[in-house]
Amino acid sequence: MTRPSHPSSGPPSGRSSGPSGLPSDLELMEHADGERDDAELAARLECDPAARAKVEVIHQLGELVRGHLELSADAVHDARFAAMWRRIDGQLVAPPAGVWARLSGWFDRYRGHVITGAVSAGAVAALALILRPGTSDLAVAGSGGHVIDVRPVALRATPEVDSLDTPGGSSTVINLDDEDGHATVIWVSSEDSDPEAI
Amino acid sequence: MIRSSNGRRTTVLAGLALAAATLVAAPGHARADVTADCELLEISAKAGNKPAIDAELKPLEKKLKKPPLSTWSQFTLLSRSQKSLHKKKPESISLKIGSATATLVEIVDKSKVRLTVTIDDAKGKHVVDNTTTAEAGDWVIVVHELAGNEGHLLAATCK
Repeated sequence: MTRPSHPSSGPPSGRSSGPSGLPSDLELMEHADGERDDAELAARLECDPAARAKVEVIHQLGELVRGHLELSADAVHDARFAAMWRRIDGQLVAPPAGVWARLSGWFDRYRGHVITGAVSAGAVAALALILRPGTSDLAVAGSGGHVIDVRPVALRATPEVDSLDTPGGSSTVINLDDEDGHATVIWVSSEDSDPEAI
Repeated sequence: MIRSSNGRRTTVLAGLALAAATLVAAPGHARADVTADCELLEISAKAGNKPAIDAELKPLEKKLKKPPLSTWSQFTLLSRSQKSLHKKKPESISLKIGSATATLVEIVDKSKVRLTVTIDDAKGKHVVDNTTTAEAGDWVIVVHELAGNEGHLLAATCK
């Protein structure tokens, strides 16, 4: 509600008091806006109820215009923000829900790592299978079985007793050979048995 | 750089985890496959006027007629067990008299079996603990002499 300022000194031209000595509307508006601090005008307003009413109306009108403009400004901002959020929401992808969705998402993100790890694991496992200890057993596992050579009787070695413990008794080892092969007989005599019976 | 380092670490960890799982599963299975098929015969031996050897003891017949087993003339099969022995896993053998275990210690030179046999008598008393290395197809016969000129035999062969 500002208007072009004008010099307050000198005779007001065209905006001076009317022919009846009443203040003009322009003067009243300047007074209402606080742009004219004129004691004479204030004195005249005291004597002129119509002019006071005009000043009051100008005050109210100013408030109305100011409030309307402020509301309009807020409305513009809200509308812009709402449109902006709508665009952002539209661009956002809904996050996956559930354990399986998270798991598959993790695999999607780290697919390359998992593949590299699997290949590495396969290589390590293959090396371990080849170089693993405990292969002194020459019998190689087959499908559900084993491979032990049953050699011809003529080529077989005599059995060897690696260890023998007969608590509370005595023992004798005898080797028997025939065309069917060897047999090691471990004869255990208890202390209470009759050795003469052998 | 941080992202690259984290990615590399993730890869290494994933690889190690998978490798560990594979190592636990595969070689363990392979080791468990070292087996030997063994036959164990529990035999009762007695002296008698009329020689008698059970037909199921045919593979041992010649040996049973040789000293010192020829002390007895009557041989009766009490029980027969067919066991697939796994390396270093003791297998209990159900007997008519007492109890026994058989353990495949290892396979030697591709044709020999190192076998441990333990026998407890009917009273639970430990009779024998024996480890013998024998060619596949040969026999290990443990004879426990009993009172009354009787014998309790456990014969084992593997292949």
